[in-house]
Amino acid sequence: MSRRNIAQLLLDGTTYFATLLSIIALGLIFVYVFREGGHLLSVNLIRSDYHARNFVGTLREESPGSFPIESFEGDDLFPVERYGIVLQQTQDLAGDTVIRVYYVHEASPLRQLNNQDPTTNERTISLQEGMILRRVSYQEHPTSLTSRGASMMATDMNDSQREIREVLFSLEGGGIRGSVITTVYLIFLTLFIALPFGILTAIYFNEFAPVNKVTKLMRNFIETLTGVPSIIYGLLGITVFVPLTVRLTPASNANLIAGALTLSVILLPVIIRTTEEALKVVPNDHRWASLALGANKTQTTFKVVLKQALPGILTATFLGIGRVIGESAALIFVLGTAIRDQVRIFEPSTSLAVHIWSMMTDEPANIALSSTIALIILLIVLVLNVFIKVTVWAFNRKGSY
Amino acid sequence: MAHKNTYSLSKIDSLTTRVLWIFGIVSASFIVLISLFITVRGVRPFITDNNGLGNVDLWRFLTDTVWLRGPTFVSTAYGAGFLIIQTLYLAFLSLLLSFPIGVLTALFIAKIAPKPMAAMMRGVVELMASIPSIVFGLVGVGFFLPMIYNLARSLGQQSPGGNGTLGIVIVLAMMSLPTITAISEVSIRAVDQSLEHASLALGASPTQTRFKITLLAAKSGIFSGAILAIGRALGEATAVSLVAGNARSGPNFGLFSINSTLTSTMLEGLKETTGIDYDIRFSVGVLLMIVILLTNLILNTIKKKVGNVHV
Repeated sequence: MSRRNIAQLLLDGTTYFATLLSIIALGLIFVYVFREGGHLLSVNLIRSDYHARNFVGTLREESPGSFPIESFEGDDLFPVERYGIVLQQTQDLAGDTVIRVYYVHEASPLRQLNNQDPTTNERTISLQEGMILRRVSYQEHPTSLTSRGASMMATDMNDSQREIREVLFSLEGGGIRGSVITTVYLIFLTLFIALPFGILTAIYFNEFAPVNKVTKLMRNFIETLTGVPSIIYGLLGITVFVPLTVRLTPASNANLIAGALTLSVILLPVIIRTTEEALKVVPNDHRWASLALGANKTQTTFKVVLKQALPGILTATFLGIGRVIGESAALIFVLGTAIRDQVRIFEPSTSLAVHIWSMMTDEPANIALSSTIALIILLIVLVLNVFIKVTVWAFNRKGSY
Repeated sequence: MAHKNTYSLSKIDSLTTRVLWIFGIVSASFIVLISLFITVRGVRPFITDNNGLGNVDLWRFLTDTVWLRGPTFVSTAYGAGFLIIQTLYLAFLSLLLSFPIGVLTALFIAKIAPKPMAAMMRGVVELMASIPSIVFGLVGVGFFLPMIYNLARSLGQQSPGGNGTLGIVIVLAMMSLPTITAISEVSIRAVDQSLEHASLALGASPTQTRFKITLLAAKSGIFSGAILAIGRALGEATAVSLVAGNARSGPNFGLFSINSTLTSTMLEGLKETTGIDYDIRFSVGVLLMIVILLTNLILNTIKKKVGNVHV
């Protein structure tokens, strides 16, 4: 008797254990991504460029003075009175150690530098707060490098024996602005194409299609799309949509429109199914009431039935956004993996998910920044899931009376 | 008058029907479009001489154990036979891990958990299902690969950076877990309660009923979940290729050896967008679709056979 009880307890225990494992798997993903990438999460990350732009400048006149610098106290701050700047020892968005310019005095000679980069037309460049000071080289003295730290660089620059020959500085890189913009573009373009297409198809199948073998076959064909792996959609994108957009638009290569078209096909079965499910629960009484009042089927469908399917369409939209944000394999083929800071609709660029892929396949892989982007994606996915829950809940509540 | 009115309105309706039919037919045609275009490009390396390099030998492509003999962009001696075996091996191995966990979790949610707990777990499963594959790949690389590397070292085995079979299997299992759980849960809940009541009335305990009656009655749905999970695992690309190590010959079966799949090979070294090394990826794509289709067919046939046996 008791042996039987123990056996049953063990059997039930396996289900507890399995459930625990499922929760651990989900928790692990969130905890890992937050622990690795949480510290880089900031508004600045979303606003800055990925590629650092470098500047090389020389001083206009050799007249370093003395610029009184007050009230900058901190373990990581190092004032340079001779040039009127304050340096900060810190980390950039990618997690590398850098020297950031914390403060520049209004009259600092470093605000007016001769541009030494022959590839641009600007003659004057200026060192500004927030920029990264990479290297300061002097006449007849060893160069101050990032690797030797901000404290050393400040000491060197303050040394009255040294005359600055050249300053190398850059905008802070490692941001994801370009990929954020691309992702937003892709979401809007894709929904703009896929939503009307999917909704109209769903209306056809639920309201207008005759019940016969052809309709059933068409449904099966659409249902088959859900089983096609996303990498295959990528191949579809480069064989069909990229050549198509190159012919019809100013694009000369892979472009965001082709990416959005590819994503639209991926979303299509989801949107059709979700919309159709919403159409199905609209009571037939409403259709008959509308028809009895003299409205035709078209009016009934678009004015009475479709309105009530709105929660389903909303759910489809949220699902679609989630899918666009998460898609990587198809976009790697259609849009390439080169991270861009200047995003144009008719050119290739990377979405957030492909940005991760691009950094993870680099040597060495940038796990910190990848985790930060993954964290952003997870947060969006979480919010979308809540939205879907709320939509369904609000709809059910409304429908209950 | 009423008759005339009806007539003109139904003309609008028939126009609407025809316009909507176009949307339906276009949506339905995408699968045909995909098969057609990719097959045409995938077949090209076998029937043309690839700009003077000579055509790819189909038999070698289907059976060889080395991805490419000879230098890239020069040789046409491609082989994907080992990739087919590895892809299937990895997918089924991952199912070995995710299937029991998924089904038991589903049983817990559907039959054991109190209502609020079940609702919470459904949320967990849904959230997990909506996590993009690239995130699974990232966690695989950052969390599991170092663990696998250390495990291999402590067992005295070679494991280059932890990449390979075990990493792929874990990542794939995590990804297919929500699919199996969600579908199993629905089919467990759909089991006719009179069956369970009959079992309980005959003196079986609730635990016996759950494991011997409910699970068995839901086996058809559970099997469908497994088929869907296998399909996803076969076609998964980015997450797998991040942890695979991209073996260029095989088949590899060892848990700690580097591995590769059809999809990871398609993504590997994707630099040029012309030439034989690019075109051959379409052939691998066609192969992938055939493998998925055949696997689905075979598993569905088995499902029908098993489903017909009354226990």
